Amino acid sequence: MEFKIRIMVQRSKENHVLFLLIVGLLAWLVPGAGHFLLKEKTRAIIIGTTIVLTFCAGLYVGSIGVINPVGAKPWYVAQIMNSPMVAVLGHMTATGDYPVYGRPNEIGQIYTSIAGLLNLLCIVNAVYLAHLRRAQTDGG
Amino acid sequence: MSTIAAFVMASFTVPEKIEANPQSMLWLLPLVAAIAIVYKATKLPKIKAGNFLKEAVILSGSIIVFMIIAALALCTLAWLITD
Repeated sequence: MEFKIRIMVQRSKENHVLFLLIVGLLAWLVPGAGHFLLKEKTRAIIIGTTIVLTFCAGLYVGSIGVINPVGAKPWYVAQIMNSPMVAVLGHMTATGDYPVYGRPNEIGQIYTSIAGLLNLLCIVNAVYLAHLRRAQTDGG
Repeated sequence: MSTIAAFVMASFTVPEKIEANPQSMLWLLPLVAAIAIVYKATKLPKIKAGNFLKEAVILSGSIIVFMIIAALALCTLAWLITD
């Protein structure tokens, strides 16, 4: 009996970790999707819209050339926090076909990188919320 | 359809013309708003339109005021050192 309970607890913990991973991964794939999975729809819409608009504004100002995995690696690390789709853009621009210099480059990089870092904040927040809910369920 | 698609693609493959002048600093305003909105979306326990907007505007204002104070302090420091 005690053995069965121990196995159930173990499985429950594994499921919880898996759920946290899914929330984190989903939040990274689509900004706001992690919160959407947790049924925080308003929060998800606000987060998704704001991050996507900020990222698109950066691309509009500086062109997709601001995503430069070769010449601007530190910026690229922040930009890829937006979504794995950034890697596709990075692959396109790695050839150097979309050169961008000066103030448009600065503004575009700042916008896209800040959008990525904001999404990282939201990923962490979604995972934390998921964990907190589980802890509250266990406690109550 | 293809014309619209080409126009959209062109918008994102050619950079805008932005001069390096003091007016270009205004580009920080939408960014500050985005930061305040996302931060408040993660921090507020319950989101209600009026309260959320108020909180986001207060945070945006605080960031801008702090940046102005920091800029003035740095300008003063630079003026004291160079003159």
